[in-house]
Order: sequence, then structure tokens, then C-alpha cells
Amino acid sequence: MTALSQLRDLPGVSSGALRNLAPPALLVFLVGFIALFVPSFLSVQTLTMVLADTAVLFILATGETFVILLGGVDLSIQALASLASVIVAQLLPSLGLGAFPVAIATGLVFGIASGIVHVGLRVPSFVATLASGGVVAGLALLAAHGRAITIEESGRGYTEWINATTWGVPNVVAIAVLVGVAGFFILRYTRFGRFSVAVGAGEPAALAAGVNVNRTKITGFAISGTLAALAGVILAARLSSGSPSLANQLLLPAIAAVIVGGTAITGGLGNVGRTAIGALIISVVRIGMTFVGVNIFAENIVFGAMLIAAVAITIDRSKIAIIK
Amino acid sequence: MLAAQSISKSFTGVQALRDVSVTIGGNEVVGLIGENGAGKSTLMRILSGTQSPDSGTLTLDGKPLRLRSARDAARNGIGMVFQEQSLLLNLTVAENIYLGQEGEFTRFGLVNWRAMRKAALRQLGKIGVDIDVTARTADLSFAARQMVELAKALTLEDSTNCPLTILLDEPTSVLARADIDILFTRVRSLKARASFVFVSHRLDEVLQVSDRVYVMKDGLIVGEYRADKVTAPQLHEIMVGRGLHSGYYKEAQQTPPRPAVLLEAAGLGVSGAFRNVDFSIREGEVVGIAGVVGSGREELTRSLGGFLPQTSGSLKINGNAVRLASPEQAVKLGVGTVPRERRTEGLVMFLSIASNITLANLGSVMANGIIDHRRERSVAKEWLKRLRIKAPNVDVACRKLSGGNQQKVVLARWMTAGSRILILDHPTRGLDVGAKEEVYELVRELSAQGVAILLLSDTLEETIGLSHQVLTMRDGEITARFEAAAGQKPAQVDLLRAMV
Repeated sequence: MTALSQLRDLPGVSSGALRNLAPPALLVFLVGFIALFVPSFLSVQTLTMVLADTAVLFILATGETFVILLGGVDLSIQALASLASVIVAQLLPSLGLGAFPVAIATGLVFGIASGIVHVGLRVPSFVATLASGGVVAGLALLAAHGRAITIEESGRGYTEWINATTWGVPNVVAIAVLVGVAGFFILRYTRFGRFSVAVGAGEPAALAAGVNVNRTKITGFAISGTLAALAGVILAARLSSGSPSLANQLLLPAIAAVIVGGTAITGGLGNVGRTAIGALIISVVRIGMTFVGVNIFAENIVFGAMLIAAVAITIDRSKIAIIK
Repeated sequence: MLAAQSISKSFTGVQALRDVSVTIGGNEVVGLIGENGAGKSTLMRILSGTQSPDSGTLTLDGKPLRLRSARDAARNGIGMVFQEQSLLLNLTVAENIYLGQEGEFTRFGLVNWRAMRKAALRQLGKIGVDIDVTARTADLSFAARQMVELAKALTLEDSTNCPLTILLDEPTSVLARADIDILFTRVRSLKARASFVFVSHRLDEVLQVSDRVYVMKDGLIVGEYRADKVTAPQLHEIMVGRGLHSGYYKEAQQTPPRPAVLLEAAGLGVSGAFRNVDFSIREGEVVGIAGVVGSGREELTRSLGGFLPQTSGSLKINGNAVRLASPEQAVKLGVGTVPRERRTEGLVMFLSIASNITLANLGSVMANGIIDHRRERSVAKEWLKRLRIKAPNVDVACRKLSGGNQQKVVLARWMTAGSRILILDHPTRGLDVGAKEEVYELVRELSAQGVAILLLSDTLEETIGLSHQVLTMRDGEITARFEAAAGQKPAQVDLLRAMV
């Protein structure tokens, strides 16, 4: 711990530089490290596979980026993703492609609900989303009767738009890139994006400047919920199954991806590009672990450690006297 | 004897103390006066160990003293009664008095509360007040809490062998007259046990209770007097400085207001804070509000900024009746607030200058729903030039700027937003003299451009100097109105009479 803090105190290493340069450097290092042992890792085929495997995590993490930028956190995303997978798997036979908008709209509705609970009842975001996540997880269990629902052969045609490959690029990668570009654009070029950063960086000042803080926050949670549901839908298509526990191990990696990418846990600083780097780091570490021979069941141990390390290195203690 | 020699201290760009030397003799009450920002509080914090000086030394009975924390100071017999009280309101009186000293009453990890209560009662006995030590501190009156603070400071008598020095930082600013008299009686009777440093900007009070008085101005000690050899008016002249003249507040640039009324309040009130407030601000008019803490003027400004919804009366902006429910709404109606808390409310400190300037009117740099970053930067650059904001470029975070430049960024934001009504809530707080003058100049400029300004200020001089009209408030109501045209400024004493 102190070693980490000292790293930040080295002359010439500002927390800003660390934040900007360390994540890409770490990614390059990790890829190079693996390629050293397994040269085939750098083949187009393998790298495409890595990207496809990162897509779901990245989409989840992009939604989470919006909430973390606002200075909050959304703990309901894995429950929402699971519920969306259940809805898609259940409705595909009857609704066909119509199942997708229903599942994604569910995410939107619960995202808005979490946001309203947070700003309307003044419940801290981690409590609001922990609770709403619990509600959502319960609904998923009820809806699926506690079981996984397989998407039958007849329904698979509808998931083609997710599972197919266009011009050699897996469609999931294209979807993730689309989400990433949209997220980047929203944060950089729209009123909502600017307000999000302002609220995260200094809520009282943003309020005094006439920013509608409540609406900004609710919108952030709505985006997070929607993208969580989209991630769940894609996951269901890729695994040909929906389950109330489908995304259960994804909350920690998603938050870790945001923070490891260099977005500040305290809000106000970060963007979707950083989250892309962070998500790739998480993916490469996961793959690297299998190469190095680490038990894959231990992956969340590694991600937990990475999250703690990233926060400990980057948080600026001089500006935050008390950490609660 | 506690002494400070050649103490200097600066905060990012502001020299708070310059070569300050003071001595506090045994069993002496030393007064310390000066306007807000003169450096009184900084000196107090250095004497109480919560801040360390950049240079200079402290000595106690001739021996050098290094204070690294309030605990260090306490060990050396220095206690502080804070301006903003340091009591924890959810604890009982006894728990507060012995906060941090529970060890004295602890056996085998268990606190003997009965012994603590008895000891607390003894401490209160020294002051001669009768307060229930088992009462929750939140249930006590403000004056009673002050006594508890004093009792807390007196516990040092038992824990150290050093002579006691108690620092009272503006203890009277929130007390009623009768309570002030009680406090003074206590201080005088405690002189046998301790020395006191009494900080205030109320001169008559300082003279009433002190043996000796130091006067501070702009981080310097500008005078030292025996209390029986000096009068309040004399002190005042030294405190505000002989250099004070109408030019300081750019009185020559004061332009008469135009007839159009931009803001009009009739019978305005917020329950529990202020009521029956009638006033109007015309185009180009600066209306100052003078009043002590608790007069309701703070809440009035919050209410006009949309932070505190009105509960009675009516408000008209540009002739239209409005009820302000949020700052967002106020901003949309052209009301901009320059808040007192510049660091938390004034600017988003971690955001760039450009983003802060456009935050209240992002639409002005957007095209088809998209922020035009190039246009945003050029708008910001324009303001940098016009307001002489000193910054390397418009992309640096506002926290890197000095206080004066930060304040200019806030004003640039409201001008970008096209605000026609500005609420200046202590706009020069914490600024050095040069930066203050620049703010005054900006106020004049804005007023000449027809912006209506409501001003709350740290000093009466500033309020009078800048305003066209001064209202005084007391206990939530307006008590008097003074015209303050250039060259015909009202006297401070007249205002004071209506304030207290």
C-alpha cells in the first residue's frame, strides 16, 4: 500500500500523467508479455477473438462510466444484464426480434427508477442501486423460475445479428465500437455530457451555475441501465441462453475496467476511451491468466486486487480529507 | 508568556501574515482586531497548532515552541474556542468537554461516565454557569454552547503544568448583547487562571474586555495599544487604514442607476429566516445589504439565487411575477450568483476555465446540439483578455488560479450567460488588496452596463463604498434604507445603529 502511494509521490509523476499514460502502457506491456510466450497471440484471429470477448464487458463498463463520472456508482448492472437475458430468452419464441427492444427498455426503466430513487429520495447511489439490483435479481429469478432458459434452435435466427460476422469483423465488436463512439461523442459534445462532468467534479458549483443536477443524474443512470440490458442481451445471444445469474460475475470486472482505465472513482474525470483501454486490460489479463496457468476461478481475486491498486494509486488524498 | 516572532504565512498567492510578532503575558487579555482577511484567524490557527508558519518562531516563557497539532498546543496549555464551534452536537455536554481525554476516566477499557460527568460539572463550575452535563449539546442555546467550549478549554488546567492561554476566535459574533456581557464577566473572572486572546472586529467589545490591543491589516500588525489609552474611533481608523478614501471603491466611476426596475420584492419571506422584505433593484443599481449574522440577509440572497424557496410575499423579475424553485430557474431568468463559497459553489474547480465560463450558457457555443470546442475556447480567450484574467491558457483547471482570477472567471460566466441581475455574496472574501480593487472596478463596469447588483459584503466600508443604496437588516427584517450616491455616502455609525 505504501509502496503504491510512494509511486505516486515520485518526482515528475503527477497523478494526471499516471492516469493518462499508465493504462495504455500497461495494456501494451501485457499484450507484449503474453506474445513473448505465445507468439500466435498477435495473430489477427486471436486478437479478433479478444475483442469479441471484451465487447460485453466494455458495454457494461461504458454504462458504468457515465454513473462513476457523475460521482456515483451503479451496482445494479449485473442484475439488469441477467434480467435482460432472461427476457430475451423467454420472449424470442413469441415476439421474435421484438424481444430485444423489450429487454433493453426494461434496463432503461430500471435505470431511470434507480436514478429517481437516488435523487428524489436522496438515497446514496450505491445503496439505491444495491437495492434496485436486488429487486431486479429477484424479478429475474421469478421470471425464469430460477432456471436457465435455453434459446431453442428456432429462436437462434433472431440472434444472428449479434452472433454473425460481417467482413471478418464479429458483429459484437461492431456493436461495442458503436456504443463506444456514441458514448465518447455524448460525453464530449453534448450538453448532458458536459453537465455530467461538471456535476461529478463539483456538484454544488454545477448547481449554482444553473445545471439541472437531478435530470443529469437520472439520465446517467438511464444510460447505465440501458447499456447493462444491451450487454445482457448480447450475452444471452452468444451463450444461446438466458439466466437469472448469467452476468453475476461481471460487476467487479466492469467497475475495475472503468477505474483501471483511468476514470476517477471520485467523479468528474474520465471518458469512454479510457474505459475501452480498461476493458481490454481486464480481458487480456483474463486470457493471460490461462496462459500463465492461473486457475480461471481466481480471476475475480485478480480483478479485485487491480481495482484496489488502481484506486489507491490514482486517488488524490490531498483533495479528499476523509474517505468514507 | 506566549510569544510569536516574525511569523509569516502565505496561501497560494496570498500573503496572509507578514512578519507578525505578538506577545501574550500571563493573566492578560489581549485583543486582536482587524477586518475580515486581515490575518487574525490565520494567526490564531498558528498559535493553536492547526497550521504551521512558513517562517518565524513561537516561544513559551522564552523557550522555543514547535506546534504540530492542536494536541501539541493543548499539551502546552494553549486552548482554542473556535469561531465555528467545535462541539459535536450529538454528544452530551460532559462528553464534549472531555472529548479526546476519555482516557482519564477509563479503566479496563470501560469509561466511568459518572466520574466524567462529575469532572465536567467541576469545569463548568470554574466559569460559574449552571448547565446540565447530561444534556445533548444540540439542545443547548448557542450562548450555552460557548460556555461549554470555554469549560472544555479550561480542562487543560488539569492536564498540563503550563500557564493557560485561551484563544477566543470571534466568540461574540453570534451572541446576543446580554450573553456577550456574561461571557465578558466570565473572561474577567478567569483572568486569574489564564491569559486570553480575544479576536473580534467589534471594537467597543475588544476595548471593554482587553488589557492590550493589537490591530491587524493586510497580514501586518499595524498597531499595539493599551486598551485604556485608545478609543474605538481611533482603532477603527487604524484598522481600515488611513489610505482609505473614496478612490478605493472607485466612487468616481459610480454611475446613477436607470429607471427600469429589474428585480422587485414585496413582502418577501422565508419562514424562520426573514419576512416582509420590500425592495427593488433598478438597472445599473448596486443595492447593498448590511446586517450581522442571523439578520436574515444571507437567507435573502440564497432565496433570490433560487437555493431557498420563498414561503411568502412576491418576487418580480423584469416585471414578471416568479417563484424561484431552483438555481437553474434563477439562472434562466438572468439571475447569477457569485457565491461566498468560491471553492465549492463558485466554480467547478477541477474543470477548465473555458468549461466554467460557458457552463451557465452552453447553448451559446453549441451548434445543432453539439458543443463547438473551438468556439468555446475563443469565447473564453476573449474573457481572459477583457477581464485581465491571469492564466496560461483557457484549458487549465480553475483550481490553479488565484482567488481574484477565480472570481473573475465566475463573473465572466455570468456575463456569458447574459445575466442582468447579479447577486454578489461576499465577492472579495479572501482576496488580497489588489484583487479586491479589480473586483470593485468590475462591479462599477457591470453597473455602468446596466446590470442590477445585490451586494453582501464583509465590511461596512465596502458595502457603503460600492452601493447606490444600502438596506440594513436585523432579526429577519429590513430596518432602514440609506441612499449612498457618490459623494453622499452614509456614515457607518448610522448603519450600525440599525443593524444591532
